Parts: sequence; C-alpha cells; structure tokens
Amino acid sequence: MKSGTFPGGLSLPVSAAGVSKPFESVPPSQTVIIPLKQHIGEPCAVSVKKGAEVKMGDLLGESESAAVHATVSGKVTEIIKKFPGMSGGYVPAIGIESDGKNESGGFLEGSDPMSLIQKGGVVDSDVEAISLHDKLTLAKEKSVKALVINSVDVEPQMISRASILAENAKEVASGIDIISQILGITTVYIGVSENAPNAISAISGACSSAISGACSSAHVVGLKAKHPQSMQELLVKALLGKEVPTGGSPEDIGVTVISVETAFFTAQAVNDKKPMLERFITVAGNGIGSPKNVLVRIGTPIKDVLEHCGVAPGHGGKVIIGGPLMGTAIHSADIPVTKETTGIYLQKEGDIAEFPSGVCIKCGLCVEVCPMRLMPLLISGFSESGSYAMAEANDILSCNECGCCAYVCPVLIPMVQWIKLGKSEIRAQRSSE
Amino acid sequence: MKTPELVVSAVPHVHGGNSIPKMMMNTLIALIPAVVIGIYFFGMDAIRVVVIAMASAVAWEAILQKIMGRPIAISNLSGMVSGLILAMLLPPTAPWWMICTGTFVMILLGKEIYGGLGNNPFNGVLIAWVVLQMSYPDHMMYWLAPPGDFMTEATPLEVLKYEGVGSIAEHFTILGLFIGNTTGFIGEGSALMLLIGGAYLLIRKVVSWRIPVSFLGGIVLFSGIFWLTNSEEYASPLFHLLAGGSIMAAFFLATDMPSSPVTPAGMLIYGFLCGVLAVVIRLWGAWYDGAYYAVFIISILTPLLDKIKSKVYGR
Repeated sequence: MKSGTFPGGLSLPVSAAGVSKPFESVPPSQTVIIPLKQHIGEPCAVSVKKGAEVKMGDLLGESESAAVHATVSGKVTEIIKKFPGMSGGYVPAIGIESDGKNESGGFLEGSDPMSLIQKGGVVDSDVEAISLHDKLTLAKEKSVKALVINSVDVEPQMISRASILAENAKEVASGIDIISQILGITTVYIGVSENAPNAISAISGACSSAISGACSSAHVVGLKAKHPQSMQELLVKALLGKEVPTGGSPEDIGVTVISVETAFFTAQAVNDKKPMLERFITVAGNGIGSPKNVLVRIGTPIKDVLEHCGVAPGHGGKVIIGGPLMGTAIHSADIPVTKETTGIYLQKEGDIAEFPSGVCIKCGLCVEVCPMRLMPLLISGFSESGSYAMAEANDILSCNECGCCAYVCPVLIPMVQWIKLGKSEIRAQRSSE
Repeated sequence: MKTPELVVSAVPHVHGGNSIPKMMMNTLIALIPAVVIGIYFFGMDAIRVVVIAMASAVAWEAILQKIMGRPIAISNLSGMVSGLILAMLLPPTAPWWMICTGTFVMILLGKEIYGGLGNNPFNGVLIAWVVLQMSYPDHMMYWLAPPGDFMTEATPLEVLKYEGVGSIAEHFTILGLFIGNTTGFIGEGSALMLLIGGAYLLIRKVVSWRIPVSFLGGIVLFSGIFWLTNSEEYASPLFHLLAGGSIMAAFFLATDMPSSPVTPAGMLIYGFLCGVLAVVIRLWGAWYDGAYYAVFIISILTPLLDKIKSKVYGR
C-alpha cells in the first residue's frame, strides 16, 4: 500500500481520541422539517397535503434526481414555501409532527439500481451536494472508467467517514460494487486517511473477501492526514496523479468521486430497498470535548442533535454546519440536518477566531499552503480593491475556498471572504453579459 | 427556552495562531546564539552596541509613528528585531551616535515612510547598513580583535582581498572560521551559531528553506567554479561560506519578508542570484564582502521574481 498526498495544505493536529468511533442514533425529534431541495438542482414537487398522515419512508416530494421522504411517522403540519436553504436562497420544506410510533412505511419498488437510487433519494454530499442519480448519469455520458471512493474525513476532527468504513465496510463494499456495475468501472480507488488504520483494515478485509465485482480488486490507499485532502480534485491528484482541468469536473478525465456514505446508502437503497433517511455526522469543536459520531434522521433540528450530545451552543457561540475551515455558520440551531450536512462544528464564545485584517507582510505562507497553487495574497488583494479582472486573470475562480491561506496568515487577513466576494462578483458580471 | 444568539461569520472559523509578534519572537530567539558568542568575543563593547541599537530602534519607531499619526506598533517586536540585526552588522567599536543614526535611517527609510511594516521594498536593516557604510567607512572598519593570538587585525575576507588566497591559511583555520573567532562585525562571525539559529527558524517555519538554501548554493556553485579551475588564486567554496556575512545574509537578511519574493520559484532564483552576486562582489568588487550588498541589490528584482508563479492546479 502506497501513501499519497498533494502539495500544500495543512497538517493539523488530529484528535488523539481515536479516529474512528461508533455512531450513536439520535432519537427522533418531536417535529422535523424536511427541505424539498437538499442538493444542486430543482426542488422536488410536493407530493403530500397538509394534514396527511405519513409513515417513515413515505414519499414527501418527487423529482427526477432524488426523492425526499418522511423520516418520522406522524402528521404533515405545514408546507413551508420559503425555508432558508443551506446554499443560500429559499427552498420549500415540509414540517412533520411525530406521533412517536416510528412506524415504517413500505419499501422502495422496482429492481433497476438507477431508479432505486433516484427513488431512494440518495445524495452525494461533499463541498456541493449532488444527487447520485445525476452524478451517475453524467459519469455514464462521459464513459467514466475509474471510481474514487472518498473516505477521507471532510475536515480535521470530522471523523465520520473513517468511522463509516470501520463500522460498515461490508455495506460500503456492496455499494461500490453496485455503482461500479452501473458505470462499468474497471478501477476502484478507496482513499482513506493513513491515521485511521482500523478503517483501512476493515475495508481491505471487506474487499478481499469479495470474490467478484470491482471491489475485489480495489486499491485501498492511505493518504497523508492533511486538510483539504477530502476535496475531490485533490483526491484525484493524490490517487491518480492527474489534475482535473480548470473549470471542469473529474468526469472530464474519466474519474468520478463518490463519498463513502453515499456508497453505504446506495447499498441500502438497492439491496434493502430502503430510502436515505439518515445522515452520518460528526459533532466536534471546542464546544464539545472529543468529537462524537451520530446517526441523525434528516429533518432533525440541529439543537436536538446538540442536546443529545449534551452540549448547548450558548449565547455568543457559533454553530457551524460542516467543519472549522469550510463550514457555514448558521444563525439558528433550529435549522434541520439535511442530506447536505457533512458535520456540525461548535464554538463557544471566546473561541471564535476573528480576522481584523492587518497589512500583508508578504511572508508567502499562504502561497506555500495553497493546494491549488494560487497566490492567495494577490487574488484576495485584487478582490479587496475591486480589481476583479486582475483577480480573474490570476485564477481566482480556481480557488476552492479550503481556508488554508487565512488559517496561516500572521496578520489575519480574511482572504477567503475577499476571494468569495471576488468570485461572486465575477460570476454575476458573467451572467449579466 | 429562548434560543441563544449565535455568531455568524465567514470561513474559516479557526486560525492557526501565527502572528507577527510570534514570528519576531522566534527570530529574536534564533539570533540569540550568534549574539551571545559575539558578546563572548567582544565583551562589553558588543553589549553596548546591541543595547543602543535595540533601544534606539524601538524609540525611533515610536517617535516616527507618533509623528506620522499611525498607531504605535512597537509591541509587534519588529523594531527590536531589526535593531538587533543592525547591531550584529556593526563593529563592536561603533560610536553611539552612529548607531542611532543607523536606526533612524532604518526605521524611517526602511519602514515608516512606505506606510509601515510590510510595504518596504528594501530590507530596512540593509538600507541603514549601506548608509552607514558609505557615510562612516572608517568607523565601520575599526575592528576589535577577539581574545587570542592573531597575526592580523583584518577580517578573513579583507585578508583574501588584500593579501591573496595564500595568506588565508596563515591566519585562519576552518574551525576558527566556523566558530567565529575572527575579527568582524559583532554577529556575523560564527557560522556555527548562525546555522543553529537558522535551523531554528526553519523548524519553526518562520522562513522557507528556499531562500537560505539557494543563497548558500549560489555561493558554493559560483565560487566553486573558480576554485576548481584555479585553487591557487581563488578561495574554496567552504571559505566563502564561512567567512564574512554569507550565513548571516542567507538566513536573516535575504529572508526579510516584504523585500523578498513569495513564489517558490521566485524564492529559489532570488536566493541563488544573491549568492552569485555576493561572490561576484567579493572577487571583483571594490568592497571585500559582497553578501549584504548582494541582498540589497537583488531585492530590486523581487517584484519581477514574484511574477514567476507556479502553474495553477488544472491549468
């Protein structure tokens, strides 16, 4: 087994408390709110009426990409037209009052894996959440022959992916086989952080005990524990040594990257005919001692998850969906867990990093850590001064907002914030032309 | 239960804790070995120069920032660091008024006039050093011999320049040069102590390895070419590395952040050119040591060298 990586990035201290932990199930909440758009694309069409009785797994919304299901049994109390979406804007959502019975509805119908994935509502969530159905359709069009399974933890302390491998390697292996069969994959790479030995041995074991299928010949590769190794373009670089062309996707060079939890839910949808009702999440941060792994039903308010973990955000604290470097801070802990939620990171008042922005001293640390080999000081500076054309000429659009530059900056320039502004201005200008 | 008010702000939500005072503190720590051995060799005279330089640098910084209406930023330690580095580039006999003139020039022309730390196109220490070198050449070459029996009061590079390569072995051993038991500026003599400090800077990731390593590589390569063709006439690369300001300049002057490039390739070329120019000045220049002048001159190229960017991922 070789060990791979990419140039740049941050080697952050990973909690020594163990890099894989079992998942605790968070008990179902009294009320859940389930957004009808939990991935890129159009929201689902509502398929229930207000007041309807639903059971777990019953269809709430339909779309060609991924369906949305009830995650508790009970009564539909409201159909919200404008609910704040995770990627900005508003999305429709459905509120359900639980009857506490947790009755299961029927199973998914049919036997075609592609349609089971769509009906089961499987969504692949990384930096962006894409429905697996759409992702596989694109991969088919581009006749992708290599599959990368992203088992690298999304961010430091977010230990859920390694834990899924350690706990559920069999299901993951089965999911990999299903996806490989759909796409006609010849080579499978499974990228795991090398500091998660039990995850590596679990998946290696599951792969080698498989007699047939793409998984039996999969390459399990230990990768250096560095941020942001979980990003698909850097995984492709570390595992295949190739770079995804600027503005393109891994599919353009014959690779598709799918997260390990997606493989798990694929196996569940195709083998067990069960829709995706839950999400594996790590709750971490300096608001909580050591990171905790939980299995949460979609629609559960984040405050209920935190309550289960025995922590409260507290006045002046920060609740972040995602990790410490790339996550989104939310204004209210009433926001529900969705298929897009990769983790929850909690900060107490006083732990919150501030970026008062000093004068750049040209130390070059941001250039040194940038995994995309950009000049963060330059593009952030151009963006700050409104010189968007110059920023674009210096490849600001290639920035993947991993946060390494601002993390190392000795004068605390909020570089990612400036770069995000520049990118959105450039995109707005483009779309108005 | 009232929902707690949460803070919402942009990414990232954590910071590594790096800061200018931390970098400057690490630089001060890295300079300690060389300063200590300088004081060991030159005694109270060296202490006097160091104290005057550091105190006056901080004082000038506060005064100039006050006059210019900027917030007083002496707590970032950059004034102390540049004061100390300037002291290390002065002879132990330097008079107090010359030191204060030097630190004034250093803070004014090397920092504040451009808008403060970060905006200076030249290394402030070197601006001051060049001004002193040109204004008070006699004071800058009034040497004090360290304890021990010496046949010469001249610095190793002066011996090379005025007496030729044959005389070097008469006066100096490689070990002596390595430890720094020679005449010269207070802090430049001991290659050993400077390397210890340099290694500390690298381990603490205050500076990148690229500039110091390519600087020393440039010296070795360029002086090596001449030494290999005629070792009777030219000094060995090892002598060039250990004598004069080679190691001081490579680790503590060329790595000055605002005046040096930020791109990996730019850093390598910058360091290499500094090393080559240092040897060029030593071989053919009027001045016996070229290391400091080389850094001063090559920093003109920094904006150009920063245009040598790495290939962006996916391009």
